Amino acid sequence: MNDEFHDTSEASFLGTTIPANTSGEQALQLALDAIANHPNVGPFLGTQLIKRLVTSNPSPAYVERVANTFNSDETGARGNLSAVLKAVLLDPEAQLSSPVSDDRKGRLREPLMRFIQWGRTFGLNDSADKWIIYSTSSAQSQLGQSPLRAPSVFNFFRPEYVPPNSNLGDLGLTAPELQITNETSVAGYANFMHRKIPTGFSGTIRPDYSAELAFADNPQRLADRLNLLLAANQLSAETVNLIVESISSMPSGNSYQLLSRVHAAILMTMVSPDYLVLR
Amino acid sequence: MDPSTPENTRREFLKRTAAMSALGIAGPTALNMSAISRVASANATDYKALVCVFLYGANDHYNTFVPYDADNYAIYSGFRSTVATDLSMLGSTVLFPARELPDSKQYAFAPQLPDMHNLWQQQNLGVLLNVGPLAQPTTKLEYTSGNAVLPPKIFSHIDQQSIWQSLSPEGSNIGWGGQMADLFISENTNDIFTSISVFGDAVFLSGEASVQYNLTPDGSIQIAPISGSVYGSAAVGASIRQLITAGHSHLIKRAHTDITRRSIAANEILTSALSTVGEISTPFQSGSLSAQLRMVAQMIAARDVLGLKRQVFFVGLGGFDTHNNLNNDHPPLLTEINSAMSAFYSATEELGVSDQVTTFTASDFGRTLSNNNDGTDHGWGSHHMIMGGAVNGGDYYGIAPELGNNGPDDVGQGRLLPTTSVEQMAARLGRWFGCSESELRDIFPSLPLFDDTNLNFM
Repeated sequence: MNDEFHDTSEASFLGTTIPANTSGEQALQLALDAIANHPNVGPFLGTQLIKRLVTSNPSPAYVERVANTFNSDETGARGNLSAVLKAVLLDPEAQLSSPVSDDRKGRLREPLMRFIQWGRTFGLNDSADKWIIYSTSSAQSQLGQSPLRAPSVFNFFRPEYVPPNSNLGDLGLTAPELQITNETSVAGYANFMHRKIPTGFSGTIRPDYSAELAFADNPQRLADRLNLLLAANQLSAETVNLIVESISSMPSGNSYQLLSRVHAAILMTMVSPDYLVLR
Repeated sequence: MDPSTPENTRREFLKRTAAMSALGIAGPTALNMSAISRVASANATDYKALVCVFLYGANDHYNTFVPYDADNYAIYSGFRSTVATDLSMLGSTVLFPARELPDSKQYAFAPQLPDMHNLWQQQNLGVLLNVGPLAQPTTKLEYTSGNAVLPPKIFSHIDQQSIWQSLSPEGSNIGWGGQMADLFISENTNDIFTSISVFGDAVFLSGEASVQYNLTPDGSIQIAPISGSVYGSAAVGASIRQLITAGHSHLIKRAHTDITRRSIAANEILTSALSTVGEISTPFQSGSLSAQLRMVAQMIAARDVLGLKRQVFFVGLGGFDTHNNLNNDHPPLLTEINSAMSAFYSATEELGVSDQVTTFTASDFGRTLSNNNDGTDHGWGSHHMIMGGAVNGGDYYGIAPELGNNGPDDVGQGRLLPTTSVEQMAARLGRWFGCSESELRDIFPSLPLFDDTNLNFM
């Protein structure tokens, strides 16, 4: 805080008045308190967290339940974020048994999250411990997203984005992640995963498929495992069958062929719409 | 029966959109009678394209169109001492218009815009002064009294980007570029290429019948693992194609699948068309905007092969939110605008369509005249360039504002109160594009509220 540049005149905003001649530090505290205590914060934060973690189109009642938790936790305290997260994730609307129509549950996974999930699920590790992955920002050849490289202060996509020319748009439903989904990015993502699933990065950053290899001679068990680990068991029977049929048609005579089966099963899972939309 | 009669065109339109839906290519979902009747009334016989160059972050118009006459340069340099462009650098880019501005006002282009200056002198580029979002004509008195009806959320980036592109704030899902494309989509054979963004999603291009198609500066991108051998298996490729294009009732899955289908179909058509026409020879510099506009020129080169009569393009450049470091960050952006737009104009000459392609700049808003340390803050009205052989170039349109801090034409710190609305600018472009007066009033409902004097830039 540079006192020289601090405007000491009275300031009024959001129903709060900061008296004249308040010190910069104190004025900042008062301003932050006023913002944090504004009644809009609970619903706003609740909406953002629900959209990121659960569904693109929460009901007003769901937002209200989360906002009420923000406003007052079990002990009456305001702003208990762990209680808020619990309210977001354990709400009836966040469950598979949610009363929301099946056609509009959930959200599109953003490409970076799909990639991180792949890395975590298959123990991506760098034997050189340098993690040289570089940017993944190119939509045409990579993920169209890279950590900490959002194109603007408004992040990668807007929470209120309503996709035009779609049934979602006709119904006024949001699908924020669809804002960075287009003819180019769907190709970029599929091609990127196609290249990276077998090789990893930089020669030393490799996935570990040893657990999956154990099932490679049993396509049904392989597909079931990937359905559970990657897709929260949300792949449809048709999708699983298609994966099983395709993998069964691949040779399995040596370890290289078995590994190819694993690569193909992972790719098929991770490009399937059943996986891309987490319900 | 004349094939261009409304009845026939309407039938053709319905037939084609039904076919598109079956293929999952363009799939209009908000098809309604108003869209159909508008389609029927437009009838393009020649080729025309509109190109929007969006400067994301809000271009500092004061350092792009620098006040040059002695009185106004003194005001300008007085208000932005540390970020003013030196007068000595402006001598070769002074703009001499066909009609002098009142009060001997003069502007010079930034020194980084010599080729824009050449295009102005060749009368292929005009400047529209102080244009911005307005709900209705608004005076300073109305603004200060608090009685003015204003566009929502002025000074907010995402909302004003959206209003420039679609006349509505954040959340809008139909833009005026897309609405103009709707009117002509039935004239285009491969109509998926009617509205094209080389920059990513832009609400500007979203229409009712027309869907924006996303292209990269390198062309369309093929989805590799759907054909040939995938990890040694042809069956896997075929299954992936099936998996990612199959129908779904879930609305987000369906939207994703529609995009994937379009990606595959368009790539196949476009790859063939672009290889048929070959590369344009006009050289473009490196840089994002140059690469995007080169691709636009390449698409225009393929217009006949693709059977296209009307196209709307969107390209963009980011980095204009110069709150800091204006002197270092802004000039290179202007340099890129200069080289990219001038090369693009040359490319349209190479293709013989310089009179049929009109390019205009747009941006979130203008900026303040006075500086905050080494940058400038959010404004409202701004000046913009309109380029093309059909433009009445070498002249100013709109009204030159008085410079000041809380003067008659600004709402404080030199934030310009616009005197020309975005809708007026857009409607002029639309009239040239071939939209009828009634169509323009449908797209731009506030148009009748505004005086149209001195806006005949086309």
